[in-house]
Amino acid sequence: MTMDDHIVFIVDDDARIREALSELLASHDMRAIAFGSAGDYISADKPDLPACLVLDVELPDINGLDLQRQIAEGDHPPIVFLTGHGDIPSSVRAIKRGAVDFLTKPFSDTDLMTAIRTAIAQDQEKRSERAELRVLRLRYLGLTPREREVLPLVVSGLLNKQAAAELGISEVTLQIHRRNVMQKMAAASLADLVRIAERLEIPIRHSRRAEGS
Amino acid sequence: MMCVWSHRPRLLHLGLFTAAYILGCGFAQSLAIVPGTGISIWPPSGLFIATLVLARRPSWPWWMLAGCLAEMFSNFLWFHSPVPAAFLIYTGNALEAAAGAWLVNGTLRRPVRLETLGEVLAFIVLGAGIAPIVSATVGSATLAWFGMQAQTFTGAWPLWWIGDATGVLIVAPLALVVFQNWCGTAQLSTARWIEACVLGLIFLGVAALSLSGYLPFAYIIMPPLLWAAVRFEFKGAAIALTLLALITAVFTISGASQFAGDPESQRDRQVMLQLFLAISAFSALIVAAISRQHQLALATLRRSERELSLLVDAVPVAIACLAPDGEPTFFNRRLIDLLGLNVTDLDKPGTSRRAADIASALHPDDAAGFAEALSHSLATGEPFFRKHRLRCANGEYRWVEGRIEPLLNQDGAVLQWYGVSIDIDDQMRLYSDVAEREAKIRRLVDSDIIGIVIWDLDGRLLEANDAFLRMVQYEREDLQAGLRWFDMTPPEWQEVHTRNEAEELRTTGKMQAREKEFFRKNGSRVPVLIGAACFEGQSRQGVAYILDLTERKRAEAAQMRAEEALRRAQDKLARASQAASLSELTASIAHEVNQPLAAIVANSHACGRWLSAEPPNVERAKITAGRIIRDANSAAEVISQIRARFRQSVEARTGTTLSSVIAEARNLMAEEAAQHRICINIDIENDLPLVAFDHDQIQQVLVNLIRNGMEAMASAAGSRALEVRVRRKGDAVQTEISDCGRGVETPDKIFEPFFTTKEHGRGMGLTISRSIVESHGGRLWAEKHEPYGATFIFTLPVEVKTTS
Repeated sequence: MTMDDHIVFIVDDDARIREALSELLASHDMRAIAFGSAGDYISADKPDLPACLVLDVELPDINGLDLQRQIAEGDHPPIVFLTGHGDIPSSVRAIKRGAVDFLTKPFSDTDLMTAIRTAIAQDQEKRSERAELRVLRLRYLGLTPREREVLPLVVSGLLNKQAAAELGISEVTLQIHRRNVMQKMAAASLADLVRIAERLEIPIRHSRRAEGS
Repeated sequence: MMCVWSHRPRLLHLGLFTAAYILGCGFAQSLAIVPGTGISIWPPSGLFIATLVLARRPSWPWWMLAGCLAEMFSNFLWFHSPVPAAFLIYTGNALEAAAGAWLVNGTLRRPVRLETLGEVLAFIVLGAGIAPIVSATVGSATLAWFGMQAQTFTGAWPLWWIGDATGVLIVAPLALVVFQNWCGTAQLSTARWIEACVLGLIFLGVAALSLSGYLPFAYIIMPPLLWAAVRFEFKGAAIALTLLALITAVFTISGASQFAGDPESQRDRQVMLQLFLAISAFSALIVAAISRQHQLALATLRRSERELSLLVDAVPVAIACLAPDGEPTFFNRRLIDLLGLNVTDLDKPGTSRRAADIASALHPDDAAGFAEALSHSLATGEPFFRKHRLRCANGEYRWVEGRIEPLLNQDGAVLQWYGVSIDIDDQMRLYSDVAEREAKIRRLVDSDIIGIVIWDLDGRLLEANDAFLRMVQYEREDLQAGLRWFDMTPPEWQEVHTRNEAEELRTTGKMQAREKEFFRKNGSRVPVLIGAACFEGQSRQGVAYILDLTERKRAEAAQMRAEEALRRAQDKLARASQAASLSELTASIAHEVNQPLAAIVANSHACGRWLSAEPPNVERAKITAGRIIRDANSAAEVISQIRARFRQSVEARTGTTLSSVIAEARNLMAEEAAQHRICINIDIENDLPLVAFDHDQIQQVLVNLIRNGMEAMASAAGSRALEVRVRRKGDAVQTEISDCGRGVETPDKIFEPFFTTKEHGRGMGLTISRSIVESHGGRLWAEKHEPYGATFIFTLPVEVKTTS
């Protein structure tokens, strides 16, 4: 992990905490940007990198938990909560909503760094998944309308003959379409294509079993 | 008879009259040179007529009697006529005199002065022409009847008539002059006297020359005679005529004159003589009258000229005359005084009087307009009218109203311009002052900031501005229909209005500003501030000023409401802060300490990492260590602040009694107690000694103990009463707070820090409470409350009065 491939956002109203956290992260060779309030954080121009948000629960403008709920819709970095006096219900609530950890001040170096590293790793994974999906979507967009009709039939396990009958085309034509789909979607095998279709959430409308019965 | 007697003239006058009559008869006798006639110039006729003209009519019989006596006496001396004939002749003469006087008096204005031509002509015609007809007729008839001196009626009549006429012409004026100036003193200057003497000598000389030769020479006397008549008028003429008559008579009697001659021609010469005298008299009298009239006219003219000049100078108006070309030719005294210069002062080389006048006498701002307007008037002949400023002698400018009007001849050409300047400076000042004041008042009335009403003492509103009408929502028509204050005054103000306010206005002339209310037209009320004053000198009317207080009242009410809300909020806040539980306090303390601690921990880890790095980053480690120290101090500061808060402060201890603090604590908890349906009973012993304590701290202890008790009972069944008892115990005052809750299982542990039996407690309340009580020199402990529950007891030492 180097300085340039990640970023840690710190949101805490206490300047001493912001300072100490930045220092601690710097000593761990990690890059950090600190904000005094949730408003500052939201309106700031943030670098597009794998990130982690270290969020104080007791903020002057908004409760940290409420901020978590507000930004839940968008692609936001995983959150590590800090609190002066943690109570069990709020920590449970935070974790349920996807927080990486819920630390009580004063927190230990190890706990915090573990949580931050976990969070950044999560974000990296999430980001790469998102990137892969984006590629698959682009490939899917490259299919012709007929190929898009062929794809769900193929991945649902229909035989070529069945699929051709379904579309009212010849088996040979279907095979050509199928080969083109495999090529365009960069699927190494039918199993690979099935996995890709799953990721793209392409509905499967037919099954051999249904056909057989 | 008595009447006639009472009008008897003075005897002296009668005597003189008689003497003069006899003298006149003698004169006539001496001139009666025509043989056989005995008829000549008859002076008594003039004397008689003049006398009767001047005498009052009731005295005429006396004069006639005197005349009769005189003529009878003369008849006895010279005429020697038979007495009846003489009497008849006299009767004729008396009738002539009476008729002449009657006619003259009836025609002329009294007193008869013969000063105008008309008067003289009338006198000559009536007295000398008509009146002698009577005597000539009677006398000639008598002569003819008695056959005296062989005269026929027709032969004697002309002689008789002309004799009497000449007598009247010559003697009557003289007599009038003598009678009227009998007592008057002649007022002639030396020069006039000399002229009179020279004229007299010349007259005598010429008369002597002229009357001693050829008949027409006699008329050479005319120039001196007329000279006398012109220069000395009626008196001169009368005297000169008398002299002429006397001289003529002397020369004629002595036979030296051309009127004397042989007996054959004597009759004609006698006529000639009488004609000469008559013509002379006639001419002299006419000329005297013309001269007199001329002199009178001249005097009148001079007098009116003088009066006019005085008038022109006296009128309070500056007057100027201008030539047709506009050149000033005359300034009256007032204009000269006003400008400090006369027309002649305007004569300057190279410029006209008009230009010089405009340049020197007019305000520079008005000069151009004035010159233009004047030129226009001069060119068109239209009257000039203008208001402008004139420069006065002292250099000040005064407003005048100038008018210049032309005097036209029959052809309509301008003969002269008359200009008047009326001083209107005071007026203009007054106008401008009044206009300014009026404008101010108008601005005040129309400004619509305050309502203004003109009223009379009958309570009617005569006039009001829009601001007032808007305030009370009445229309202007309501005002004209006779709106009254009383109609607008609510019942509770009506008595004050009719009694006090009217009285105040009557006695002091004004009404001090006061707040009251009026009814609007729709019956709603409008709060106002109203003040009023009577007009000076016209106490029946006055002016009132009304200010609409609706907004202010509303604002005041809103402010009062806001203040009330604020006060309630403050109360609530105060109660909330006072009632804040010790656990909340601890939470905040924990937060305050926790933050620096968290920073310290993080910084310590960072510091460790910097030092253990390869190579160690000592600089960063130092900076981090510095922050650790700073944050640790900050935490220590928090702790010391908390200490300071609970430290016993002698200064803060107030003189409040314990019972009042307990009451306050009870009030603070009243709401919570009501929620839990707990009743707080307070029992305080009388005559408690004073104890010194910190109000806020002891209140905190009480609130804490009361809340503990209430919370203990909240979950327990049974009696829900909290007892607070205060009593003296030795040198201390002991306060017990007893609840009926579950009681205290571990009385020893509860005062230890962080020990709590509550779900959300922090275990600090009792610890802090004990430390507070102990800082006051007292004790706090817990006991079992029978039958169940717990009692918390604290003591405060009685104040030892060291000073008093």
